[in-house]
Amino acid sequence: MMLQGDCNYIVSGLERSGTSMMMQMLHSGGVPIAYTESRKADVNNPKGYFELEGGKIITSLMKGMFPIEKYQGKFIKITAYGLSYLPSTGKYKIIYMERNLEEVLDSMEKMSNVVDENREQTKQSFQRLNEKVKKEILSKENINVLFIHYNEMLKDPIPQVQRICEFLGTCEVDTAPMVSVVDKQLYRQRRV
Amino acid sequence: MQEKTGAEKYTSVQIPTKLVEQIEKRIQGTEFPTVTSYVTFVLSEVVSETEPEQKEALSKEDDERIKDRLRSLGYLD
Repeated sequence: MMLQGDCNYIVSGLERSGTSMMMQMLHSGGVPIAYTESRKADVNNPKGYFELEGGKIITSLMKGMFPIEKYQGKFIKITAYGLSYLPSTGKYKIIYMERNLEEVLDSMEKMSNVVDENREQTKQSFQRLNEKVKKEILSKENINVLFIHYNEMLKDPIPQVQRICEFLGTCEVDTAPMVSVVDKQLYRQRRV
Repeated sequence: MQEKTGAEKYTSVQIPTKLVEQIEKRIQGTEFPTVTSYVTFVLSEVVSETEPEQKEALSKEDDERIKDRLRSLGYLD
C-alpha cells in the first residue's frame, strides 16, 4: 500500500506506551514504515524498537538536523518529547499511543534498571508533558491525530485496528497480521 | 549561515563575525558539525524556555526531570 507522499506519518506517545508495538503492527499490515537496526531488540523490547538514529531522533530534531522530508509517505517513530521540535511547516498524521501512566513508569524503571525515589514528581512531569504535547498537536491545523490506548489495544485489538485503517483512509491494510502482533505475553507492567 | 540544507527551510541571520569565530572554536570536537546547527540548537532552547504557553505547561524542573529520564532510557544524548 501507499501513503500520501506529501505527508509525514508518525507513531508517538510517551516512551514505553506501546509505540514499538504500533510500528510493528503497521509493518505487519503492509503499511510503509522507516527504521533501522541501529537499536537492537533486547529484553525490554524483544520484537525490536523500530527506531531511527539509534533512538536519538529527539536529539536530532532539537538541533534541527533531522531530515524529516526524506521520510514522507512512511511511518517513523518520534516519541512525545520530540513532537514539540517538528518543523512547523509540513503535513503530519500522528498515531499517538496512550497507556496507564503507572504502567509507563513501571516499565521505564525496569528498562533503566533504577528505582525512582521521586516517582510522584516524575509522574507529574510526564503527565504534564503528555497533556502539553497532546494540546499542541491537537491545536495545529497541519496535524491530524489518532489516539490509540495501549490497554484497549491489548484488551480487544480488532476495533482499534479498524480505527487505524479509517485514519489512514485505506482498506488495503492487512488487518489480520496486525492483530496477531498484539502479544499479551509482553504486557508485563500491568496495573489495570 | 547557509552551509546546511536539511528538512527545514533556512534563512540568513547576521551575527558578528567575531561571534561566529568563537562558535567555530567552541564546536570543535563536539557533535555540532556546523555553526548553524549549534546556533539553531541554542536558539531553540531559549525560545522553548520563554514561550508563555510552554512555560505554563512544563516547568524547567519538569523539563529537566523528563530529559534525565529520557537519557537513562537511551532516547536523548
